[in-house]
Amino acid sequence: MTEMLNGSDFGGILVHNFSEKILEQVVHFHVMKLNEGFFLWVGSAPALSNLAVSMSSKYDSMPLSTLVMGDPSNTAANSLAQRLAKRTKKQVFVSYSLPMTDSSLSLLVENRIKKELELHPENF
Amino acid sequence: MAEPIIKSRQAQKEVNGISTEVVCTQFSNYIFVVLTQYGKIGTLISVTPDSRSNDISTPTFSTKVLLGKDEPLTHVCAKNLATFVSLEAGNRPVLLGLALKDSSIDTIQEIKEIIKSCKVW
Repeated sequence: MTEMLNGSDFGGILVHNFSEKILEQVVHFHVMKLNEGFFLWVGSAPALSNLAVSMSSKYDSMPLSTLVMGDPSNTAANSLAQRLAKRTKKQVFVSYSLPMTDSSLSLLVENRIKKELELHPENF
Repeated sequence: MAEPIIKSRQAQKEVNGISTEVVCTQFSNYIFVVLTQYGKIGTLISVTPDSRSNDISTPTFSTKVLLGKDEPLTHVCAKNLATFVSLEAGNRPVLLGLALKDSSIDTIQEIKEIIKSCKVW
């Protein structure tokens, strides 16, 4: 019963979890693979504190990104969603629930996501 | 491998001939429910219990479309589908992703049963 959805061979929603100790703290990642998109949550405690959505537009080389939930002064979710949308060409939902104070942490977190994208592209 | 800190459950079922997927994910401050017949999140709606309606009256809920077409039927479906989740989850707000081809009352009822089979709260 595989239905062709918008020309893609989407095999159903897939949930994938992984975690990594980064700068002395355990960072958890939760990915929900969707049809032509994915939802990614990053955090150290199981709270959903914000949500950004990003997708490519034919009018701009940078994907459009918007925060639909949470504090707009915190740009981490927004910019991460935008970079992941650019990289994957998909609709990307990102919730980034880590403290914003440490910029090296967010860099390492992003590198960990990129590594997972390379190792397990089938999960995104 | 250690237990993930985010608990989720999912189910897939034919509803009125349409493949329907449900994913419920538990966060400490939200229950995230994806109900989709397109494999996409679609319209995002937050369903929030109104603060401190007194104990005697039935609780009321506010719905807000965060992303997508803001039409009355969306609010009706969201409230119908998510109210019981919020109540059962100790009045936690529900974030609902809704992408349905069929929003008939029979379909909504059936989908509610699938949500019950994906209880993470």
